[in-house]
Amino acid sequence: MSDLWKEFLEKGKSEGCPVYDMHGHMGSYSRIYFPFGDFDPDIMKHRLDRTGIKMLVFCSHWTLFSPDIGNKANIVVVRKLPDRLRAYCGLNPNYPEIIEKDVEEFEKYRDVFVGFKLLADYHRKPISDDAYKPAWKYADKNGLIVLLHTWGSSPFNGPEQVRIVAERYPGAKILMGHSCHGEWDKTIKLIKDFPNVYAELCAVVDDRGGLEQIIDAVGSSQIVFGTDWPWFNHHYYIGAVLDSGISDEDAHNIFHRNAEKLLAALV
Amino acid sequence: MKLKFFDANVFIGRPHNGQFGSVSTSEQLVQEMDKQGISKAIVWHIFQYEGSIVEGNRMLTEEISKSERLYGCWTILPPQTQEIIKDDFFKKMKENKIVCVNAFPEWHRFVLDNVAFEHFLVELSERKIPLFLTMGRTCITWEGLYRLMKEFPLLTCVLCDIGIWGVDRYTWPLLEKFENFYLESSQLSLEEGGIEATVRRFGSERIVFGTGFPVQYQKAAILQLTHADISDRDKENIASKNLERILQKEQL
Repeated sequence: MSDLWKEFLEKGKSEGCPVYDMHGHMGSYSRIYFPFGDFDPDIMKHRLDRTGIKMLVFCSHWTLFSPDIGNKANIVVVRKLPDRLRAYCGLNPNYPEIIEKDVEEFEKYRDVFVGFKLLADYHRKPISDDAYKPAWKYADKNGLIVLLHTWGSSPFNGPEQVRIVAERYPGAKILMGHSCHGEWDKTIKLIKDFPNVYAELCAVVDDRGGLEQIIDAVGSSQIVFGTDWPWFNHHYYIGAVLDSGISDEDAHNIFHRNAEKLLAALV
Repeated sequence: MKLKFFDANVFIGRPHNGQFGSVSTSEQLVQEMDKQGISKAIVWHIFQYEGSIVEGNRMLTEEISKSERLYGCWTILPPQTQEIIKDDFFKKMKENKIVCVNAFPEWHRFVLDNVAFEHFLVELSERKIPLFLTMGRTCITWEGLYRLMKEFPLLTCVLCDIGIWGVDRYTWPLLEKFENFYLESSQLSLEEGGIEATVRRFGSERIVFGTGFPVQYQKAAILQLTHADISDRDKENIASKNLERILQKEQL
């Protein structure tokens, strides 16, 4: 039994292994009931404390699905729990004028945002689309994190699209949310080819096999932990990672070390 | 706290399209259970779904006979074809340590309703033998499940692999309406707050522990339940006591 598993099983968290969840959301969403969908800073803090989540980086559902609400949904929430939360500035390519405005105002919200979030499968425009260009250029220049929703075979955010933006914007730190789910061989190739591209584990560990394949091929230095919170449970995902047969050193990289490096200049 | 786990959702056998970490024998399965501290399991064989139901049931029976910690789940078909359900069906179940049945009507191409199964499902209900269904592979639609429960409201039914995305909008009406309807926990554990919210609304007696092995990680369900925001008594119910109680009630 690994020391980390023993500690997590006994205490629910680890003093020496904090966890950074690099892929979260916030707020209700029409297609699902979330027991913890409504933001309450006390409940949120309790949910994070009990699992040892040091920081959750999220983008509100309301930002992603309502241009009328936009990024104020993120700003309000982060400022209510600034020690534990940061946000991605959500981008909707169907409203390029809002993207331009959000990029112009990004510096005003450095206490809130660590980068950008793209949800191209839902917004139906590829991640290389010109509408995103101001944000990509800004992230490239400033070393910001860009969390992509990615999925195997997607024409909007599949591995071929990731390759285009990774080549174009080497200064951006690109997190492949869901790791181009199901096309693990292409995920691996992207990680090998680009030092600025990271696998993110949300949905990867719903089934056994994907994480094992990625780790075997490229190690753990370009993998970060994420859960789509409040969709998925932190303990469930932590248990899944620890059940994949990885070493405790790899688990430390995935749970916190890689995220700490990514966030070092941004938080 | 250290919980005693009785896993309600495990299959044995290697799927034809491959499955990471799948096991062929009861010895291998018991080894995996020992690694995780799981004491008992209800098992079915993947060949019951993918290949021959008759041969799959036979392969399962052979494997579980090798370990007293494993109990079996046979797959059923409409009684009319007499492939599976014959006069001595329940007697054979008892003789072979088969404690429940499952069905995959959509995949095996039949309708699980009172036209095909009236007498059988009435008897299953009276005998309190659980019927296991899954949302995790081609098995039954939500509409089909609702119809089934309306036709057989006393049926003991355990719904497994309830969905990767939270499905409370589907399952809570069933829990509210049918007292013998249960949820297997592997994917309820995946939902943030899913276990806690369901226990608050319906009590812990309506959930049975499962891992979804070999498709899902066993430690995921174990860690989630061990540290869920519910009482220790609720955790013990879910981990093993509810399933023990369900099986104690059945009359084989």
